[in-house]
Amino acid sequence: MRINPAAFLGAGMLLAAPAWAHHSFAAEFDSAKPVKLRGKVTKVEWINPHSWIHIDVPDADGKVTSWMVEGGSPNALIRRGLTKSSIPEGTEVVVDGYAAKDGSYRANGRDITLADGKKLFVGSQGSEEQSGKEQHDGK
Amino acid sequence: MKTSWITIAAISTFLAALPLAGQSPRTPEGKPDLQGVWTNATVTPLERPAELGNQQFFTKEQAAQYAKRMIENGNSDRRDGGAEADVARAYNNFWRESGTKVVPTLRTSLIVDPPDGRIPALTPEAQRRAAVRAEARRLHPADGPEDRSLQERCILWPAAGPPMMPVGYNSNYQIVQGRGYVTVISEMIHDARTIPTDGSPHLPSNVRQWLGDPRGHWEGDTLVVDSTNFTDKTNFRGSGENLHLVERFTRTGPESLTYEFTVDDPASFVKPWTVQIPMTRAAGPVLEYACNEGNYAMQGILAGARAEENAKR
Repeated sequence: MRINPAAFLGAGMLLAAPAWAHHSFAAEFDSAKPVKLRGKVTKVEWINPHSWIHIDVPDADGKVTSWMVEGGSPNALIRRGLTKSSIPEGTEVVVDGYAAKDGSYRANGRDITLADGKKLFVGSQGSEEQSGKEQHDGK
Repeated sequence: MKTSWITIAAISTFLAALPLAGQSPRTPEGKPDLQGVWTNATVTPLERPAELGNQQFFTKEQAAQYAKRMIENGNSDRRDGGAEADVARAYNNFWRESGTKVVPTLRTSLIVDPPDGRIPALTPEAQRRAAVRAEARRLHPADGPEDRSLQERCILWPAAGPPMMPVGYNSNYQIVQGRGYVTVISEMIHDARTIPTDGSPHLPSNVRQWLGDPRGHWEGDTLVVDSTNFTDKTNFRGSGENLHLVERFTRTGPESLTYEFTVDDPASFVKPWTVQIPMTRAAGPVLEYACNEGNYAMQGILAGARAEENAKR
């Protein structure tokens, strides 16, 4: 069958849903509770299955609430040379996410940026690109 | 002359160490050498998209277009789907490590048999089992951790295998060989699957294991792994505990191997089906994935379910 490239790119093309995360974020966070948090990093848990970034968020009256923000598995970032020190304590970040269903001070880090709006880390890189010919596994 | 003999001996040693033409690299025991860190990350789908009909291979142009579409589709930085899609997309793309290309064979599906590139129909028995699972999920989505998926419980990552399938991140595997054994370590939920290649028989049928009971043997340059003795707690696309899985690992070059598996489960599928996934050498390393220790999400999920129940009261 000859496929017309235009039809092939058609919006009707069914795409497999990507595997987004280790667990269901919809079961943990509430899509009806969007939050925008601006605060300073107090601790980074660079752990699996997901990283957690802790931030202290002051409100208009100066009252501070400590939030935990869920990110992804750190493994891919570690392979790119990034560690938890890449987000030093005191770094001001902006988190645009959704709060936990149980009302605790947790949110997903839907979008985490630095205070100036820049991305925290550079964009994702495909695994195939990382298969370096010069980086054999030392066997 | 003495020097000449040394030179000849050195050249002979050098030549002996070179692989014979057409032969893959060998371990000290003389077995095909599959060792190293490999990734199966790709954008090629398991099943051929219906729009492609009988077309088994992409043209190069289509391959590039398809990869572009899949990268866009998989980009979790997108905010164009509303709040629910935002939550499902979870977090920024920089955490991910997805495939960016179709497989080098340009196949339109990872399934190579049947030729339509689709999973064969489930038998009535397998449909019944799937319906029972779906009903259990509907009635008891999060009463306790046992109701949640095996991956959320940090027990195993279904795609890490067997059989091994690409996922959005950490699609890395390390193969280590010893005398009489081959071990496959998967990064996701840290399973190390040790495969005896000493000719020993399968375990008695009453012994069931999460990852099945693998037995390996060599057919030419190919490691063939025959697995049985699975449990009813896992299923691969609807397979059952009597799944008979045959995996084949073949080195195809210094930086590549081909991984193939056949799902043979007449109780679950109307016919067997075969998947082929080229794997490429990855920079690695395969990192620890200590899952239970940091699994705060389980608490969050169960607490979320209780909060929803209370809100309905």
